[in-house]
Amino acid sequence: MNFSVIKEIVNENDSIFTIRFDSVMVAKPGQFLMVWVPGVKEVPMSLSSIGDDFAITFKVFGESTKKLASMKKGERMFYRGPYGNPYPEPEGKTAYVAGGTGLASLLPLIRKYKGDVYTGARTRNDLFLLDDDFRIATEDGSLGFRGNVVDLFVKEEDEYDTVYVCGPEAMMRSLLDRMHREKHGNVYFSLERLMKCGIGICDSCSVNGYRVCKEGTVFTYEQLKKMDEFGVYRRSGSGKIELIAKVQ
Amino acid sequence: MVSISTSVGDIRLSNPVMLASGILDETSGSMKRALESGAAIAVTKSIGSSERKGYPTPVVSVIATGMLNAVGLANPGIDSFSEEFSNFPVKEKVAVSIFGKDTEEFLYLARRVEGLGFKILELNLSCPHVAGVGSEIGQDPDLVEDIIRELKSRTNLQIWAKLTPSITNIVTIAKAAEKADAYVLINTVKATGVDIYARQFLLSNKIGGYSGPGIKPIALRAVYDVRKESEKDIIGVGGINDWNDAVEFFLLGASAVQVGTGLYYRDYGIYDNINAGIARYLEDEGFSSLDDIIGLMVKS
Ligand SMILES: Cc1cc2nc3c(=O)[nH]c(=O)nc-3n(C[C@H](O)[C@H](O)[C@H](O)COP(=O)(O)OP(=O)(O)OC[C@H]3O[C@@H](n4cnc5c(N)ncnc54)[C@H](O)[C@@H]3O)c2cc1C
Ligand SMILES: Cc1cc2nc3c(=O)[nH]c(=O)nc-3n(C[C@H](O)[C@H](O)[C@H](O)COP(=O)(O)O)c2cc1C
Ligand code: FES
Repeated sequence: MNFSVIKEIVNENDSIFTIRFDSVMVAKPGQFLMVWVPGVKEVPMSLSSIGDDFAITFKVFGESTKKLASMKKGERMFYRGPYGNPYPEPEGKTAYVAGGTGLASLLPLIRKYKGDVYTGARTRNDLFLLDDDFRIATEDGSLGFRGNVVDLFVKEEDEYDTVYVCGPEAMMRSLLDRMHREKHGNVYFSLERLMKCGIGICDSCSVNGYRVCKEGTVFTYEQLKKMDEFGVYRRSGSGKIELIAKVQ
Repeated sequence: MVSISTSVGDIRLSNPVMLASGILDETSGSMKRALESGAAIAVTKSIGSSERKGYPTPVVSVIATGMLNAVGLANPGIDSFSEEFSNFPVKEKVAVSIFGKDTEEFLYLARRVEGLGFKILELNLSCPHVAGVGSEIGQDPDLVEDIIRELKSRTNLQIWAKLTPSITNIVTIAKAAEKADAYVLINTVKATGVDIYARQFLLSNKIGGYSGPGIKPIALRAVYDVRKESEKDIIGVGGINDWNDAVEFFLLGASAVQVGTGLYYRDYGIYDNINAGIARYLEDEGFSSLDDIIGLMVKS
């Protein structure tokens, strides 16, 4: 287990926080850490910034994220990793499609390479780290396009050579099913599943026999097309099959 | 080519390497993948009569000499297991691991497993980190004897008894489990670890099981001790990463081996690696089959 001293905690909006820290780790865009909140839990978190300035950006969901959000500058943040395979580098014109906190995982790429960012959330209050040129979708229409980010993006899909996607699994499944391009060579999705070990031995994150923590988190369009469990069902903490609600 | 086929109880196997219980065997997709990657048998994670979420994370921790885990027997329960595995394509290559608190529960689970069409049952008499089951059952010779007698007389399943090393004399329990078709030696060793900067236990449950390279000498000794006292087939497990680890187990009397933590170090290539290495070793050393070396150092 490693730890870093927290440099800063930024409140991005009501429920989204960024923790900045120094580290000597070698990491690439798309990789994640297992962040340990002693006494609570260990949870997977994507690196939202890599290099001179490391960061994680997260939404408060339950106990661990609540505790992380209440941590102070100078305190220790414990973690192991980085784990998972990074996003391959882009070729040609690039789009980033983010649903909810999926934007966190795409941020290191967005900062490194040019491209158009499509981001969506339920309402404008759920959006975070917006740049003026982001293309925005909100389900209630409170900012930008009214609808979900998939509706917004599929209209423009043909413009892009490389596409990166990270968001809730139902949203990614819907995008996968609606993409109509001929060549899918450079379309990459980063998956998030319940993860107990992060190192490929517990099977809790597996989709059709592929471990999201080890063979993923990044999968190609072609790989996902063959995985009939993707976006359809996932595992609870016991390993029981749970259905994933479809995007309307 | 020399033969690396072997047998365990009434089961004939094309090679001697199996997937151990609890590692990459929660989902039917991963069970298939283990078999496609060359495992002769894949053992399921241990299944109980009802759903268990297991302990909060951290449930695994990699240490210098292996791994600590306290997953807490997380499992979907026999009903959900049945739904997912009722149409599993190669049931004869699966051993279903079960755990229970008494004879009645073991018998109930065994009948459900037999009803699904599986042939091999592995009894978890050895998980070191859940109260009332696993190694707590597996330290009581009378109970172990009773459970196995009932299962053998009331089902037609092959029964493999997986024993704990965290006991004064493993031979006592092996004797109590005499009616089983094979012994599986060993489960993880009861252990713990500390993060000195967080000043916290490495596992949320504090106590867990130790696996990987560091326990190989303990597992080898268990196999040797039991082999000296019994002719029953033994499946060796504990710290096997490579073919030469497996050969040590064969020489001391194991007829087959299982790999668990080795998948962390070697991933799915481990099966082909071990099998190819064993074949090469047998050929180089002038043996004509795996049978020639099983128990070689115990018989003489
Ligand atoms: C590889 C990977 C990378 C991740 N990266 C990030 C990241 O960069 N930023 C981030 O905010 N989260 C990220 N997550 C999700 C994050 O791990 C969870 O939000 C976290 O585990 C929640 O822990 P908790 O104890 O606060 O909540 P829990 O007590 O575990 O959960 C509380 C409730 O929230 C729900 N919930 C938890 N997570 C989510 C989610 N992501 N979406 C919808 N509902 C959820 C649970 O089902 C539960 O009902 C990532 C997950 C994975 C697998
Ligand atoms: C993460 C993990 C989970 C395990 N779960 C189980 C289990 O459910 N039932 C069981 O009988 N053994 C379980 N074991 C023990 C293994 O099957 C094996 O006996 C032990 O790890 C030693 O072998 P190894 O060093 O090759 O891992 C587990 C081991 C690990 C590391
Ligand atoms: S989290 Fe354990 S295998 Fe992926």
